[in-house]
Amino acid sequence: MPGHPIPHQDELAELALKRVVASGAEYGDIRLLDSTTQTIRGEDRRIASIREAQDRGFGVRVLYHGAWGFAASSVLSLEEVPRVADLAIEIAKGSASLASEKVKLADEPVHRDRVVTARRIDPFAVALENKSALLLETMESVHRQPGIVRSSASLWARRDRKLFVSTEGSHLEFDLLALSGDFDATAVHDGRFASRSFNTPHLRTGYELIEDAHFLAEAPRIASEAVEKVKAPTTEPGLYDLVLDPEHLSLMMHESCGHPSELDRALGYEANYAGTSFLTTEKRGTFRYGSPHVSLVADNCEPETLAATGYDDDGVACQQWDIVRDGIFVGYCTNREVAPKIGATRSHGSNRADSWGSVPIVRIANIGLEPGAATLDELLADVKQGIYIEGHGSYSIDQRRYNFQFGGDAFWLIEKGKRTHMVRDVVYHGITPEFWSSCDGIADRSHRRRYGFITCGKGQPSQSGWMTHAASHARFRNVNVIGGQAGS
Amino acid sequence: MSTIGHKTWPKLTSPDEFRFLADLVLKHSTGDHTFVSLQDQQSGTTRFANNQIVQNVDTRRGSLSVTVAFGRRHGTAVTTDFTAGAVQETVNRATQIAHLSPDDPEYLPPVKSQPYLTLPTTRGETAAAGPARRLEYTNEAIGQCRMENLGAAGIVSSSITTVGVAANTGLFAHEERTDARFSLTAQAGEATGWGAAAHRSIDHLRVQERTLAAIDKAKRGLEVRELPPGRYTVILEPAAVAGLWSSLLWALDAKSYEKGTSAFSGKLGQSIVDKRLTLRNLPTHEDLLGIGFTTEGLPTMVSDWITEGTLTQLTYDRFTAKGRGIDKIPTLDAPCLSGKGPFLPTLQELIKSTERAILVTNFWYIRAVNPTDLTLTGMTRDGTFLVENGAIVSAVKNFRFHESPLRVFNRIASFTNPAEAITSETGKLLVPAMILHDFHFSSVTRF
Repeated sequence: MPGHPIPHQDELAELALKRVVASGAEYGDIRLLDSTTQTIRGEDRRIASIREAQDRGFGVRVLYHGAWGFAASSVLSLEEVPRVADLAIEIAKGSASLASEKVKLADEPVHRDRVVTARRIDPFAVALENKSALLLETMESVHRQPGIVRSSASLWARRDRKLFVSTEGSHLEFDLLALSGDFDATAVHDGRFASRSFNTPHLRTGYELIEDAHFLAEAPRIASEAVEKVKAPTTEPGLYDLVLDPEHLSLMMHESCGHPSELDRALGYEANYAGTSFLTTEKRGTFRYGSPHVSLVADNCEPETLAATGYDDDGVACQQWDIVRDGIFVGYCTNREVAPKIGATRSHGSNRADSWGSVPIVRIANIGLEPGAATLDELLADVKQGIYIEGHGSYSIDQRRYNFQFGGDAFWLIEKGKRTHMVRDVVYHGITPEFWSSCDGIADRSHRRRYGFITCGKGQPSQSGWMTHAASHARFRNVNVIGGQAGS
Repeated sequence: MSTIGHKTWPKLTSPDEFRFLADLVLKHSTGDHTFVSLQDQQSGTTRFANNQIVQNVDTRRGSLSVTVAFGRRHGTAVTTDFTAGAVQETVNRATQIAHLSPDDPEYLPPVKSQPYLTLPTTRGETAAAGPARRLEYTNEAIGQCRMENLGAAGIVSSSITTVGVAANTGLFAHEERTDARFSLTAQAGEATGWGAAAHRSIDHLRVQERTLAAIDKAKRGLEVRELPPGRYTVILEPAAVAGLWSSLLWALDAKSYEKGTSAFSGKLGQSIVDKRLTLRNLPTHEDLLGIGFTTEGLPTMVSDWITEGTLTQLTYDRFTAKGRGIDKIPTLDAPCLSGKGPFLPTLQELIKSTERAILVTNFWYIRAVNPTDLTLTGMTRDGTFLVENGAIVSAVKNFRFHESPLRVFNRIASFTNPAEAITSETGKLLVPAMILHDFHFSSVTRF
């Protein structure tokens, strides 16, 4: 609960790291984390739950003779910390017995810093009854639209207070916020049902994010579009030009660019779960990932974005770098362990754990699509037959990130350069580099929007990664659209 | 008291300790109703890739959740701090939230004291296993792969969890649950083979057998051919069957059914799959991961869900169940799908019986495409082969499928007895391997 600080955190950190150093380990760090998560969930015009969870604990990471050990506990005491530190050392020694290739960490300057999320309104200081009322009014508004049978609405906020201390001397304190809100409407018609959703981005900011999202103003539109969507005609399968909105693109970038650019995947670390990558290391610098219009930039420094935490869980300062420049694949997301394996002298700072109890792993950075020069109307104007897609729907991609199939949240037919009417059950399919090579236009910076993810699954035990992807609208030519029914 | 045996592990919360914590919460709470739940876990995972350990972790996490209700207003607060002050603070926060919450028309008080099945949810050998035992299995899997000049990537994990629920209605339950897992991807260049297991007992992971099977698949994948997308007869191994069935089971929500937002709406009592198939919940089955009670304190039970192809049950929340007059809510914690009538004893016999088919080891990234007809998509992964004249003749490049389980499980040619199945995207089930006709692969990938 707020106001109950981690006890003696510097003392606990010192206690753990002294033991790590005494063991002969070449590196060690400790993260002490106190997280508070508030979730308000509405469903069908009622508040189904209000939950506030405090999750507090620490994790000790040890590199011994080139091999890792990690142990963690939710018991923060002067007795538990030495036990856990010793266990991490014991585990690292066990790992070292099977280590054929020793881990060597890329160098990083020692940092001593404090990072605080800028916020105008503390989300935990906003009255719960006001938050509940907003969700209830939003759902009531949604249900005023004839044809709507179900609704949901939620608000989510998280505060992380963290201390990172390493045997190298880094000492980093964090007080980070993240929040989001969403609602949706489900309509039925003629034995079918369809949903339309509204999502704020997940961002590191204050409650102003929710206030500025104007749920009550947006609710009638979302409800109306849900009804229009369920009644809309299906599309004929075939080749279409697609114009994709920033929210839809955020997921496409995440799946088809973000994951394959994780160096640990390219090196086989995730072969048994999340998968490997078609962006193998020999392709760096030469492989044509997309058209010359396509530049995808990792930026963990942009304020308010989820991965912009100042430093990652290796204690590496956040950075900006290119993943794809003018269509050519040029860079990876890395941590201190894997960066040296491709000759890099410094990690890009993309090593993050989802809690005190998880070991940090390489995560996707805040990868965004560089804006172009067009307006959305100009992108549409040059489309004879196409589909405009907003939001997230069905998505699936193979484990090396070549073959994907995406749906969306809402679809409009484009005819002779104009958005006309909604269509339903649109699913498109492609091969990643072919798809991005078909991009021939990107809207300008005024169209740029950011969307974040907090449920990116990777690692065993599975962890949830957080990152933000920004884009302006983009156009893709001759994409294979199939129907959304079985056998299509 | 806890059965934890590893020397460096602390004791998890025992029944007496949980009762103490629950009594502390109930004594401090001023709510009309108060519900307490506990999860206290010690877990470890050794993860390997490229034939060496890349991650080796051990975590102790305890969590206590308190829900306080005044009338129909309720609030929940959770803490990982079990000290008396923190527990009282958690009760206070839940109380504050409840006072500030609007009436929830679907709120129901916690259930009363319940009779539960006594299940063998804890196995001493798993409770006693620690990093050394995980290292032993890791060494075995890597060693076998190294001998074949293959790469090994995978995990060995073990955990013990104490779970408890209590309420001022008299409800009290506490259970210890162990869990052990192994999975391996053997790599021969581009070719991969996979196997996985989960069991209450770490002794039942069959690491060697599963490692050899994954190696065999990887080696068979060295020569790969590309077949066009289209409709094929498929032989689905149990993991692939489990992937499709898990998506089907997740869609059985009763509230969605009643609102008309379910693929099953109107189909209760109707035939939905081949009439030879029956799905039951068997929490007492020693190869499933059955539990004694749910997170709400409801007892698990043996129950029928699909009987000879006919849908007979839905997953009910307590409010919807009450509206339907359902007193005992069936659970689906330990699903077993079985076939009636003639069957073939093994996967190998299924292969032998087939003139031409695609053999699928596993599906990956299964997602709903159309919730109205439960159309799904996903990729084959880690062992996809062409079978001709009763034998595997080559590996094939991986396919994307675009199909509904409500259609494909009406096109069953033959099946085996149920076998253990688990994937990275499903819980554990017992399901047969199956031959299905006319399965739609909509595209092919590059490997």
